[in-house]
Amino acid sequence: MTPFERDGTEVEALLTDLYLERVLARHGTDRGPADADLDPALRRASDRLRRDLTRVHPSFRFEERLALRLAEAAAAARLPAAAGAGAGGVVTFRGAAAVANDGFDPLADDPDDERRELPVPLLIGGALTSAAISIAGAAAYVAWRWARPGRGAGPMVRAARAVREAHRAGGGFDMSAR
Amino acid sequence: MAGPVFGKARPSEEGGSRVTHLDRDRTLVDAARRDPAEFDALYRRYLAQVYSYAYYELGDHHEAEDVTERTFLAALANLDRFEERARPADGDGASTFRVWLFRIARNVVANQRRTQRRRPVAPIEAAAHVADGVDVEAGAATRDEAADAWRAVARLPADRRRAIVLRFVEEMSTAEIAGVLGKSEGAVRVLIHRALRTVARDLDRGGRR
Repeated sequence: MTPFERDGTEVEALLTDLYLERVLARHGTDRGPADADLDPALRRASDRLRRDLTRVHPSFRFEERLALRLAEAAAAARLPAAAGAGAGGVVTFRGAAAVANDGFDPLADDPDDERRELPVPLLIGGALTSAAISIAGAAAYVAWRWARPGRGAGPMVRAARAVREAHRAGGGFDMSAR
Repeated sequence: MAGPVFGKARPSEEGGSRVTHLDRDRTLVDAARRDPAEFDALYRRYLAQVYSYAYYELGDHHEAEDVTERTFLAALANLDRFEERARPADGDGASTFRVWLFRIARNVVANQRRTQRRRPVAPIEAAAHVADGVDVEAGAATRDEAADAWRAVARLPADRRRAIVLRFVEEMSTAEIAGVLGKSEGAVRVLIHRALRTVARDLDRGGRR
């Protein structure tokens, strides 16, 4: 793009911005000012987006539930202040911060959030490690089950064992025998 | 539209007075700093805006609720870190409370995406809800038109889509959007202009089909 083209784009962008200021100021009307010095296609698109992109409201239930949660966090923040921790200074709400942040800083700049990827090798390594731990744990549990004293002492196991021993002894098991 | 409020600041230490930018939420922010329970007023004022932004970003009501909750909890927890400053054009790090809140929301949305590995928007579902919100009695034609408009916006690159949503849904000024996105006002103007060009072409093609 040449400097001339760039300047042209910036001028057009400025005109668009001025038009949008006027469109958005006209609450309750479907169309923007007709006399605007702007490409008609851009005007139509602006009018259309102004009409069709509306604000979405959450449910009343959600609003009240979150209000309650915030009130609880605020009350928790007041306790250390009342105890003198924040006397004369700014109160910091560490309890709520721990709940809200999950280890990331919501105030940190994140300019290219769309392009950032998860650390895949770390994820795969983590998954492999946890799988290995799971398999090792399962193996240890099975070994313990087989080796522990009094193995198979449950009523079902005892009954099965009796049937097997009766088969071995004389072939047949009399269900009526007590 | 939430416009900035300007007023006279106290004379500086050097002696003279200067015009500075005062946040329209200054009273509420000060009250919330003194007593965290007062944060409720800020919450009620901006709930629908933050929720709406999250919904347009993620296209899912449950995720939008989750982001909204995290945003307000983070704002309450970090209120002491909020600094009222001049407009972006007046210097680095300029901020008002709404810009600051939306920066948090933007970061929470990004974090949500990173955590859940989800890509943005379910355009059809979102458009249907948006259309219902526009006018229940207008019927299928209006819904279809709203769906077309939203689909055109949803196809935009993320930064253009975000700028359009902040401009048209949240009715933010260019300066506020610049503060939220961390760009200059000129860059935001060009971003929106190009986005509108693309949307206009897209809608025009749809109209001819």
